[in-house]
Amino acid sequence: MAPGEKIKAKIKKNLPMTGPQAPTIKELMRWYCLNTNTHGCRRIVVSRGRLRRLLWILFTLTAVALIVWQCALLVLSFYTVSVSIKVHFQKLDFPAVTICNINPYKYSAVKDLLSDLEQETRGALKTLFGFSELESRKRREAEPLSSAWEGTRPKFINSVPLLFFDQDETSKVARDFLTGQKRKVRGSVIHKASDIMHVHQSKQVVGFKLIGRNFTLFHHPMHGNCYTFNNRVNDTVLSTSMGGSEYGLQVILYINEEEYNPFLVSSTGAKVIVHQQEEYPFIEDVGTEIETAMATSIGMHLTESFKLSEPYSQCTEDGKDVPITNIYNTAYSLQICLHSCFQTKMVEKCGCAQYSQPLPKGANYCNYQQHPNWMYCYYKLQQSFVREELGCQAVCREACSFKEWTLTTSLAQWPSEVSEKWLLSILTWDQGQQINKKLNKTDLAKLLIFYKDLNHRSVMENPDNTIPSLLSNFGGQLGLWMSCSVVCIIEIFEVFFIDSLSIITRHQWQKAKEWWARRQPPPCPEAALRPQGQDNPALHIDEDPPTFTSALRLPPALRTQVPGTPPPKYNTLRLERAFSSQLTDTQVLDES
Amino acid sequence: MHVKKYLLKCLHRLQKGPGYTYKELLVWYCNNTNTHGPKRVICEGPKKKAMWFVLTLLFTSLVCWQWGVFIKTYLSWKVSVSLSIGFKNMDFPAVTICNASPFQYSKVKHLLKDLDELMEVVLERILAPEPSHANVTKALNFTIWNHTPLVLIDERDPSHPVVLDLFGEDYNGSASSSPAPGRSCNAQGCKVAMRLCSFNGTVCTYQNFTSATQAVTEWYVLQATNIFSQVPRKELMKMGYPAERLILACLFGAEPCSYRNFTSIFYPDYGNCYIFNWGMTDKILPSANPGAEFGLKLILDIGQEDYVPFLTSTAGARLMLHEQKSYPFIKDEGIYAMAGTETSIGVLVDKLERKGRPYSQCTMNGSDVPIQNLYSGYNTTYSIQACLRSCFQDHMIQNCSCGHYLYPLPHGEKYCNNQDFPDWAYCYSALQRSVDQREACISQCSESCNDTKYKMTISMAEWPSESSEDWIFHVLSQERDQSANITVSRKGIVKLNIYFQEFNYRTIQESPANNIVWLLSNLGGQFGFWMGGSVLCLIEFGEIIIDFMWITIIKLVAFSKSLRQRRARMRYAGPPPTVAELVEAHTNFSFQPDVADRGPDTKPYAEQTLPIPGTPPPNYDSLRLQPLDVIESDSEGDVI
Repeated sequence: MAPGEKIKAKIKKNLPMTGPQAPTIKELMRWYCLNTNTHGCRRIVVSRGRLRRLLWILFTLTAVALIVWQCALLVLSFYTVSVSIKVHFQKLDFPAVTICNINPYKYSAVKDLLSDLEQETRGALKTLFGFSELESRKRREAEPLSSAWEGTRPKFINSVPLLFFDQDETSKVARDFLTGQKRKVRGSVIHKASDIMHVHQSKQVVGFKLIGRNFTLFHHPMHGNCYTFNNRVNDTVLSTSMGGSEYGLQVILYINEEEYNPFLVSSTGAKVIVHQQEEYPFIEDVGTEIETAMATSIGMHLTESFKLSEPYSQCTEDGKDVPITNIYNTAYSLQICLHSCFQTKMVEKCGCAQYSQPLPKGANYCNYQQHPNWMYCYYKLQQSFVREELGCQAVCREACSFKEWTLTTSLAQWPSEVSEKWLLSILTWDQGQQINKKLNKTDLAKLLIFYKDLNHRSVMENPDNTIPSLLSNFGGQLGLWMSCSVVCIIEIFEVFFIDSLSIITRHQWQKAKEWWARRQPPPCPEAALRPQGQDNPALHIDEDPPTFTSALRLPPALRTQVPGTPPPKYNTLRLERAFSSQLTDTQVLDES
Repeated sequence: MHVKKYLLKCLHRLQKGPGYTYKELLVWYCNNTNTHGPKRVICEGPKKKAMWFVLTLLFTSLVCWQWGVFIKTYLSWKVSVSLSIGFKNMDFPAVTICNASPFQYSKVKHLLKDLDELMEVVLERILAPEPSHANVTKALNFTIWNHTPLVLIDERDPSHPVVLDLFGEDYNGSASSSPAPGRSCNAQGCKVAMRLCSFNGTVCTYQNFTSATQAVTEWYVLQATNIFSQVPRKELMKMGYPAERLILACLFGAEPCSYRNFTSIFYPDYGNCYIFNWGMTDKILPSANPGAEFGLKLILDIGQEDYVPFLTSTAGARLMLHEQKSYPFIKDEGIYAMAGTETSIGVLVDKLERKGRPYSQCTMNGSDVPIQNLYSGYNTTYSIQACLRSCFQDHMIQNCSCGHYLYPLPHGEKYCNNQDFPDWAYCYSALQRSVDQREACISQCSESCNDTKYKMTISMAEWPSESSEDWIFHVLSQERDQSANITVSRKGIVKLNIYFQEFNYRTIQESPANNIVWLLSNLGGQFGFWMGGSVLCLIEFGEIIIDFMWITIIKLVAFSKSLRQRRARMRYAGPPPTVAELVEAHTNFSFQPDVADRGPDTKPYAEQTLPIPGTPPPNYDSLRLQPLDVIESDSEGDVI
């Protein structure tokens, strides 16, 4: 090889034609394929034979397609969650326990308010079923009721008349009639005599052990006075550090059976609900009934669930982003949202609020005096609510975290045969002056609520993918198929978008110039004076001064042989060798 | 060999002086490394070079950061959970059955006689506004009473609560301490409390109760504990309900079974308890089908008439499902079954399998828990309940120097009673109320890794029905007592069905979320993603660092050498010989630069050399020296 060629090759090797310096796109691609860090491209250029090259092109394209597909899958599955269940043994906060008597008000106290309604109900029962006297209760015999029906003008039956459709449907209608009246009457009760409610306590909590004596009163519209235990009184929540019935809440309930309202409720007992301290107890929806003359032992298991909110799921953390105002003064829950939504709609549509839920701002409870049509409106609204036409179910979202107590209920006889006598007498003493007669077994119920064990199970959602793991998955895919990295992507971007575009624009610019030149015959002869590129016809780059590379690529244009410098006369190599050996010698000499 | 060669080369380089500079090394590394960034830094133009330099640095820091994240995640020892639900052939759970009353009253009457009489009088005293002195005066055993008496606390005047002893007038005649109005107080004004004294009555506390019921019950239980703890275990077991009296009928699947299939265990709270399918001696019974047909059916007679009246007020059978070979803590985890009903219990086995250390703090078999398991005497497995109770008993023995009757005894200790340990009731109630004690126990006991719970779905119905009542009672009486009369009643019999549900297991299994493979693949992914690197690149980098150190060493050596040289030159204080001189010295043997001779001479060196004959040296020689050396070292570097 001629020495000139050799130098040229060496320079070419050491000085890569990068980027826009490449004359054509093809050259650029070639350069890219040879120098890129990805693995497929080099093979395309290097391999010989058309078939092989085609195969390599095919492989490379497949790899690119696979990368794109897999990465798309990774991105699409980014917002998935994995669920983890953890069980800890730890000291647990005791939940709030709300206990209500099924009977909301003492019969003796609300008898006056309900007397009209009761008489009408009796009348209706008589007309519909031909049955006149309720003989089950002795105390009712004293009441003069036969005359009342004749005397007073029926006011309730007029507002919601009871119709006799068909044999099958009667009972249903009758029931609707009763509950409807009940609601209405109670609405008036709360208006007329709201002070009565707080005086009456239809139930006494007799005794409880271990964890304190803080029952707080809570007035429930359907169940009257309810009592909540451990409801964050004085900002302290009681907690248990031992499982088992000994370390829980033990309550003996006095359920005054004699004071039950005959038409309002038909079952005897108490209702209990276990809930969080901040939560509103929906005792009519999710309460557990307690039988009288029984010991009900309720073992609890705590399960806590945490969901991830946006963008993983639609749940809400605290209900602030739900467009429904919370009319309950408690923490958000789906149940509360639905009730609030219904109440708000009720106030909007009917102009008054329903009695069993709290009042929104500036609204009144419904009664016949001010809102004669409310019952009709209410039923219409409730039907559309149940059919999900009000949009409440769409608007309300579930809460992200909730605690749930799984209850295992078992019953036993209490008091037992042999202990009945002394237990009843001492319980009577406990009641003291409030009750002057001896207690009956069926007036009492014993309730034990305890943690079965302190294993606290939490179900937690975790994001399945994090940004680091997504990136490393990307890296894995890119590396697996093509040994590529972000650097390669930047390279690709650089080569395909910046460099090739610049080449294309340059070509276009050149073409346009040529075209312009051809369109306009040389306006002046000076235009021909473009002797750049050493007047070489092989070089098309007109605008740029020739780079070193392009200059090297030029064939030697003229026969003019540049007289090379004669090789130096002195023998450098030999000198150097001699020197180095000499140097060691001298050094050795120096050292010695 | 290679190492030796390499070392030789290094030595050579050392002798020659630092052949490589840091810059050369870096350039060589960047050019030849397999990571993607550095190459660009070398072979691009100045602007791009800067950009690539920044990018490379950025990516390197990103990789380091992400690696940190991953390693931290790995070291947090997270677990992932797999949940499986289904039906499979499983071992039927062990079923423990107790009667709510620990003893048959007819058999313990003689032990409790004094106490019961006292209790009746106490009740009378509390209830009756005016005490009738006539029947109180009969011989009561006041030794029990004197130890821990019940008192009435009159709180009608909140600032001056008056403490009234119930038997104030009777046993010591100090009538002045209980004035007349105290007698007529009721629950609103008065509280019943228990007086607990220690240190021979010098320090007393009043344990208050909100209701008299609670106070009386608690007092009675305390006294009964005292009595029973003095009776040996064997006697107590005889006083409890025998198996043949409790278990009337038993059917497991299609196989009939009897009380003989039950293992007896004495549980202080409930007397004799019977365990079915405990797996201690017999083979464990499996159940292959869901549904009541293939489960355990039992008929029990709890004999409510024979209950100890003051000890238990609740009547029913107590039962619990638990794992084989585990001790049943039936008081805490058991459920009731009511007399006169049929109770059906559908069972779902809820199993939890945890990973041990370092994933969680659980223990596999309790051997690493610092508390001696007192229940190991029953040959049962470790459970946290057992540990907590053992811990309590430990504390009890430490503080009160006697063991509580409800828990097993360690070796060489005694149960508490009033005679030997007069302070025990005071000590026990203080210990029971102390939160510190419980917290200490909880922190010492760790939960067991494999935990099996039985989720129960309970439903009840009346049994026997009115029409079938007669014949069922007849058959049951006949079977048990061989008598024609009906000896069982609705108040006593309990029917139990225990069976697997349609899905009988739910297993929660933990597995490590991030194992070493996960870590490596993520590390590789990150490195590959940002820089296209692999482990080999790391090795390359390590090699470069070793080279770097070599260069440093070489430089240091060279530096020290040059220092020494300079010192030597300081001694000779003359300019070094030129190349020409050296060449001359090499070729011309007669040539002597005789530098040493003229060391102290102050005359310029050049003047001296002038007269020496020979070819004049080329002037540019010294300049060429440097680049030639570079080329030589470069070629040598390629060889390496």
